Amino acid sequence: MTGKELLLRALADRGVQTIFGYTGGAIMPVFDQMDKLGHFRFIMSRHEQGAAFMAQGLSRASLSTANPQVGVCMATSGPGAMNLVTGIADAYMDSVPMVAITGQVATGVIATDAFQESDVVGVMMPISKQTYMPLFVDEIEQTVHEAFYVATTGRGGPVVLDIPKDVQNVQVDKDYHFDTAAFRPALPGFYYHPTPAREPLQKAVELINRSERPVIFCGHGVINSNAGQLLQQFAEKVNIPVAFTLHGLSALPLDHPLSLGMMGMHGTVEANRAIMEADLLISFGMRFDDRVTGKLSEYAQNADVIHVEIDPSEIGKNVQPTVAINADVYRTLHVLVSDPMLAGKPRRRWRQRIAEAREVMAADLRREIDKGVGDDGALLMKTIIDRLSKLTGGRDLIVSDVGQHQMMAARFYNYQTPNSWFASGGAGTMGCSLPMAIGVKLARPDERVWSINGDGGFQMNMQELGTIMEQGTDLKIMILNNGYLGMVRQWQTLFFDGRYAGTPMQSPDFGQVASAYSIPYRKVTELAEVEPAIQEAIDHQGAIMLEFVCDPSEVILPMIPAGGGFNDMIIKRPKAKKEKS
Amino acid sequence: MKRRAILAFMLDRPGVLQKVSMLIRKKMYNVDTLTVCNSRKEGISRMTITLREDDEEKVQQILSQLEKFTEVVSVKELDTDHSYWREAAIIKVEADDEHLESFRKDYTFEILDHKSDEIHIIQIAGSTRRIDAFVKALGEEHIIEIARTGVTALEK
Repeated sequence: MTGKELLLRALADRGVQTIFGYTGGAIMPVFDQMDKLGHFRFIMSRHEQGAAFMAQGLSRASLSTANPQVGVCMATSGPGAMNLVTGIADAYMDSVPMVAITGQVATGVIATDAFQESDVVGVMMPISKQTYMPLFVDEIEQTVHEAFYVATTGRGGPVVLDIPKDVQNVQVDKDYHFDTAAFRPALPGFYYHPTPAREPLQKAVELINRSERPVIFCGHGVINSNAGQLLQQFAEKVNIPVAFTLHGLSALPLDHPLSLGMMGMHGTVEANRAIMEADLLISFGMRFDDRVTGKLSEYAQNADVIHVEIDPSEIGKNVQPTVAINADVYRTLHVLVSDPMLAGKPRRRWRQRIAEAREVMAADLRREIDKGVGDDGALLMKTIIDRLSKLTGGRDLIVSDVGQHQMMAARFYNYQTPNSWFASGGAGTMGCSLPMAIGVKLARPDERVWSINGDGGFQMNMQELGTIMEQGTDLKIMILNNGYLGMVRQWQTLFFDGRYAGTPMQSPDFGQVASAYSIPYRKVTELAEVEPAIQEAIDHQGAIMLEFVCDPSEVILPMIPAGGGFNDMIIKRPKAKKEKS
Repeated sequence: MKRRAILAFMLDRPGVLQKVSMLIRKKMYNVDTLTVCNSRKEGISRMTITLREDDEEKVQQILSQLEKFTEVVSVKELDTDHSYWREAAIIKVEADDEHLESFRKDYTFEILDHKSDEIHIIQIAGSTRRIDAFVKALGEEHIIEIARTGVTALEK
């Protein structure tokens, strides 16, 4: 057998069914073999970045299904591999397991600046969980198995395999033998502590029982360990409200009576006020990043912190915990829920405080959403998301791009289905939505998938419409077009005296773009057309694109300015000094 | 700023040194000294890194992020009270026997080579401060070239 055959055998052994990618000189042998085998479904992206996000989509969406998949993307050496970089860095920031396989120039010419040569391992090292470059054909299978183990064990992350072209073609010795079933990775430095220790758990229970003003944090780890239901049981048992990180959304229904919604920079007033006044934060699978905490010196000053986290290097990185539990979220909750010492308390005064906070913006928001249009009559994104939520019952899968519309989709869609919200969080990569949605749809073909985009981000990867056309992917594509890079514009409105530097943007005729790819298209300019257009997209079989003409002056509030504390939360839109649009 | 010594055991594989130094750069430190050698266990290297940082929590962060690398088997900080920090130096000096012998009572060193009456190559080992003192005592004007290994450390 040759290197390429061993590679594909190992991928098949690991349950890989789909490979996303783009061929080229240094990876051709593998593609050729893949074609001969016919075992894998190959999906050709129109740019390698697209392939990386499709692989992410598959990993993210399938983890809660009966058939969890690790997304695999493939690219050639040099520019092919470099085009994967953003997607890999994004997966690393968001702890998404993924395996990226790149061809490399032949070993004989490595480090000679050969045609299409890049130091892939050198580039990928700081943005991936692990990198490998097998130089001998008998290392390939073992390396693939180790790569999958590392990518999926503990905190997930992307792993890169850079395989020189000659190694792909070399015949392995006749006496080569690899026993997949008996394979155990030899990684003496790889720590994985899934089981919570008894002592901190007991301390945690004491703190929970004693607390007067506790808040539960639901982070990405809850989604990744499929612990949403357990978290809900736990919250209901102890009667403690739950605030979500961006990636914790959809772990349990967003309209659950204990839900405070999203926390942080664009989080709800109730979540942020509760955190500010809390005496205990019980955080599951999150990392207290700056968009969540704001100014650290002012963050939850009177609160004890219980931090449950699978990655020990995240514990104490930003916020010092009172009790640190380095373990898997599911296993920790499993033990916690059934702890006989754990008690629920009514905490009437706390509930009263939270109920008051819920009212701070509720009426304003309701009014805005009901009005549905800005001063110049253009549509509001909030309203569009709100209508989408109502018409789909909050049960569809939402894949958002990055920007204002992302925060709207995070705040105003009423998530009911576990693991139904997908977005680029840590890296905040514009252009992720369209390709990621393709991966999501592949993982969950029976569910409806919406790709929600701004006009800016959509144009970063709109070449993937070609993939959608070719694969016949049934995606509902929304473009909330306000003619600006909306989130940056919002900052310019609030902090740069309304000078809109580098944010106005001319878009192509999206209708013509859609028709070039044979995708039906509707442009929505009037409030009355919003619901019929969404309904049409729901009823339509196959891909459809809806463009909404939105009000550029709409802002997402509340907002905690970057570097500010929770006391600096902006809840009313200030009068702009000189707003021209 | 306080000088710190970090001791790490790691798989002896290509790229591991790059990962370690990359992390230290990412955390915005400059490496003071770095020494690597084989450990007693085959396939495992032993690395001693020194850098400057006052904040205990930041040092803890470096340790936990180093530990996160799959190749890193164990990491700890060695403090000066509970460990020996030593380095060695090879020095080419322009000095006669008499001048050199005058340091014998205060310093232990070995003459490796005797190029001429005037040129000697000597070797000395000791703490960083001890070697600094020796170099100062010899007199900068006598030194042609000096090679220092950087710190290696061992727990008491």
